[in-house]
Amino acid sequence: MTIRRSVTRVWAVFKARNLEYLRDRASFGWNLVFPILIVLALAVVFSGPPTGIFSITYLGAHDARPALLDFPGVDTVDATETTRALDRLARQQTDMVIAVAEGEVRYWINGYSAAGALTEQLLKFSESRPLISGRTEGDGIRYIDWVIPGILGMNMMYSALWGVGYVVVRYRQAGYLKRLKATPLTKFEFLSAQVMSRLMVTLSASTIVFVGTNVVLDYKMVGSIWLLVLIALIGALSMITMGLAIASRTESKEFADGLLNALTFPMLLLSEVWFSLEGSPDWVQWIAATLPLTHMLDAARAVMLDDAGLLEIAPNLAVLLGFCVVGMGLSTRLFKW
Amino acid sequence: MVEIPILALNSVSKQYDDVLAVNALSFQILEGQCFGLLGPNGAGKTTTLEMIEGMTPPSSGAIHYRGGPVPSDYQDRIGIQFQATALQDFLTPFDNLKLFSAFYDHPLPMQTLVDAFQLKDFLHRDTRRLSGGQRQRLLLALALVHDPEIVFLDEPTTGLDPRSRRDVWDVVQRLKAEGRTLVLTTHYMEEAEVLCDDLIILSHGAILRHGSPTALLAEAGVETLDALFLSLTGERLDAPEAAV
Ligand SMILES: Nc1ncnc2c1ncn2[C@@H]1O[C@H](COP(=O)(O)OP(=O)(O)OP(=O)(O)O)[C@@H](O)[C@H]1O
Ligand SMILES: [Mg+2]
Repeated sequence: MTIRRSVTRVWAVFKARNLEYLRDRASFGWNLVFPILIVLALAVVFSGPPTGIFSITYLGAHDARPALLDFPGVDTVDATETTRALDRLARQQTDMVIAVAEGEVRYWINGYSAAGALTEQLLKFSESRPLISGRTEGDGIRYIDWVIPGILGMNMMYSALWGVGYVVVRYRQAGYLKRLKATPLTKFEFLSAQVMSRLMVTLSASTIVFVGTNVVLDYKMVGSIWLLVLIALIGALSMITMGLAIASRTESKEFADGLLNALTFPMLLLSEVWFSLEGSPDWVQWIAATLPLTHMLDAARAVMLDDAGLLEIAPNLAVLLGFCVVGMGLSTRLFKW
Repeated sequence: MVEIPILALNSVSKQYDDVLAVNALSFQILEGQCFGLLGPNGAGKTTTLEMIEGMTPPSSGAIHYRGGPVPSDYQDRIGIQFQATALQDFLTPFDNLKLFSAFYDHPLPMQTLVDAFQLKDFLHRDTRRLSGGQRQRLLLALALVHDPEIVFLDEPTTGLDPRSRRDVWDVVQRLKAEGRTLVLTTHYMEEAEVLCDDLIILSHGAILRHGSPTALLAEAGVETLDALFLSLTGERLDAPEAAV
């Protein structure tokens, strides 16, 4: 009976919080629009001007250009350094590299790229000079593939931390928590409802952004979607409970704001949202390892880019679960209406 | 036979860091009474009320409910309207009634509350857009969703126009007629004369006078509580700063 009563109360608070969030069009919209804007901006920056069907990088004299380069749908990038051109090929920023020297046509394609195979056929069909083929095998992790998990994770971090941390402090400062205290609602019921509501909001917003940007950009996602959902779930939970812990006693919104910033800033900087910390000093990596976002992004990239299995990301998940337990423990223990 | 009071305070004090907000108060409230707490700003009315509500623990002294300790389901038996309260943004009176009803086992039907507090006209409006009187009626309704036996009202009419104030008086009198016990604070002497069966006048956390309005007037030989209050405290009760 008491459990049933408890569930009823949690459900009511959960629904009320969802309504508040959904009706707050401005912040609701921003939660969806902001990450999409970032992704689209990146897409524009990194994809350059509108491209044809194939992109070919050409090294050689102008009068020796292969006929293929003048085919409709073929974009040509003129280059001078072979190594840099091959780098681009490895990252699948171009589909083929052609170099013409002393009457010979030398070309390279990426073994992982279908467009590479097609341009090879077109070249063979259109070229009368002798052909020499080379091959690179870069599986094409573009920056956009690498940074997408970072952006999604960063967005989840903000939504999770501010969505509960700031909101609970706002409730307290306005006197709403005191009003709730005067009802049979318990702290734990209140906190559970806040966690559930924010978890749902954060996960659905991330799903929409994930699907939306994938349609537009078709970034790399080779692993299990269910593992990714699991990472998002535990990762969001770990940050939501952190937000709650921060909000457990604070009475001033400004102070809560400061605390939340103090928490998000190191993650923004050190959790490899925008760039890899590979090769940075040990102590930097050591600090990064204490931040939940680092583990979330680590696991997400492993799944999305390298098809990692549960076993490989288990250490990351364990750390995130640890954050959840500590966060929820601290918030229920410290919480004051 | 001596009637056991529904609430009794025995030398209750509240010490904040540097203020003794309530100083060894002892009084009793009988079932079915409307009990008034009067006094100038900062006298300790809200603090006293919140200790009786169980919202703030007393620094010393004891509070009894029907002669015994305060029961664990006390929150189910009392309804509270705070002096200052907030509700969630973007929710309507309807949403709030649903939410608060869900907290209790046997809530009153929503329609009963909507009728009793005349909420129909603004039932689906964002609560931030309600007028002072409308908001006050909603807060009263929320304090009563679970049909409590004791109702605490902290300055229920402050900031209301005469018409809305009368509406609140009507509600209080109806609640009393239903047999509920009411405990309220007010700055309006006229209100205390009309509504209260028993009252205390507080100053600096201590009781200056205790009795029914008629007894207090007779004792002091004055016409109105206002006059009595002024002679006691040298301050006006309905001073402008009392308004929210
Ligand atoms: N949380 C608190 N911390 C410190 N002092 C407090 C606190 N709450 C109240 N006080 C002090 O206790 C005294 C009594 O305050 P209280 O709010 O009970 O007065 P009141 O009679 O309700 O006044 P008003 O008519 O203005 O509502 C005041 O001096 C107030 O400053
Ligand atoms: Mg007060």
